[in-house]
Amino acid sequence: MTSIQQQVHTWLEEGRVDIFLAYRMVEGHPLPHAFTRERIDETDTLVTGPARYSLEKFATHIASRYPDAKIGMVARDCNQRALNVLQVWNQLKPGQVDTVPVNCCPSLLKPHADCSYLEPKPAGHVKLERGQDPNQSLAQADTLPRAERFDRWMYEFSKCIKCYGCRNICPVCFCKDCSLEHPDLIGTGHLPPDIPIFHLVRAVHMAGRCIDCGLCEDACPAEIPLRLLYRKVNAIVKDLFGYETGSGDTLPPFSILGDKPTMSPQPLLAVSQE
Amino acid sequence: MDLKFVPSICSYCGTGCGVLFEVLDGELVGTLPMKTHPVNHGKLCIKGWNLHEHVNSPLRLKHPLVKTFGRFTKVDWDKAIGVATDRLKAVIAAHGPDSVGILVSAKMTNEENYLAQKFARAVIGTNNVDHCARL
Ligand code: SF4
Ligand code: SF4
Ligand code: SF4
Ligand code: SF4
Repeated sequence: MTSIQQQVHTWLEEGRVDIFLAYRMVEGHPLPHAFTRERIDETDTLVTGPARYSLEKFATHIASRYPDAKIGMVARDCNQRALNVLQVWNQLKPGQVDTVPVNCCPSLLKPHADCSYLEPKPAGHVKLERGQDPNQSLAQADTLPRAERFDRWMYEFSKCIKCYGCRNICPVCFCKDCSLEHPDLIGTGHLPPDIPIFHLVRAVHMAGRCIDCGLCEDACPAEIPLRLLYRKVNAIVKDLFGYETGSGDTLPPFSILGDKPTMSPQPLLAVSQE
Repeated sequence: MDLKFVPSICSYCGTGCGVLFEVLDGELVGTLPMKTHPVNHGKLCIKGWNLHEHVNSPLRLKHPLVKTFGRFTKVDWDKAIGVATDRLKAVIAAHGPDSVGILVSAKMTNEENYLAQKFARAVIGTNNVDHCARL
């Protein structure tokens, strides 16, 4: 037994958690798996990767049906950031999820976990000519003239097949009535969907919420560099409000629930002037 | 509290994307793309993402139905196959085997498609075989 298998076995046995989310190999595929006390012997098949699913999203599904369930999960850094956001937004109770941290850091000493950030896929020549390279930095993305930048984003958005995969897979998209499906906000019945509004509505919602896990970009059949887009949005939130998404336990500045705004804006000087 | 993840293949088109069903207490609550599947590499189209909805749909056909006097009635398989055989025989006797066509599907197995065309050619006696991708 590996030390993580041993630890999960003990947690389940002692009742520290009722259910533990991790992975196991099924027909050669690393798939998420829920380990329980009733089937405790399965813990010796537990693995920590290499594929990455939003285990925290499954945790919210358990919690909405069993509000008092004690849930455990293996957590990479991105899982942990998502858990922080989900707690801030009351999708999970504080302390409801206990994590076993797993390391995705690349090293010659171990095979690193699969992540588009650690192992970026090089952009093809059409994307480089007409679209946005998902691997560029925000600073690089800002160097092109405004009109060209817009054209390049519109080229990317025009490929959208409106599968809603970006929203469905996102650990921090949990709204019961999603704006992206509201016929008054986004026109229905044609492809691509209304662009750029479809993508910008989602981008605005990700401000102060997106934890930069990249799952949306991995799931996008049209290879739209969504992660880059939401990074930009969050950079603005950080510059303007000093808010670091996913790191703390305070609500983002745009929370409209409650009596007063949750944060005061910083001077506007921080916005890049053009 | 019972959460299971069940790997499967999307049944909506011939691409055959790998999906993972999220099953909570025996109820199919969600569909996810299988990240390591060689066909779709963690991506799905809108149909695949919503597979659980058609499984749970109240409109789903779960039993053979026979239409008599304009109304569908629930019957068992033997009865349904019996009715189909009688009607096919009657149509063939009156209008010949080429008055029958067999439609197969991109989402059936190769073997099922083979059987269906064999049935059309050897049993019914027609070459009228087509499939869903041309509908
Ligand atoms: S990177 Fe994409 S999937 Fe991940 S939190 Fe941000 S929007 Fe959601
Ligand atoms: S896209 Fe916006 S409205 Fe839709 S689920 Fe995500 S945050 Fe909610
Ligand atoms: S995942 Fe990509 S193609 Fe699908 S809706 Fe989102 S942006 Fe469009
Ligand atoms: S997810 Fe879409 S493309 Fe893939 S098999 Fe299903 S219907 Fe076909």
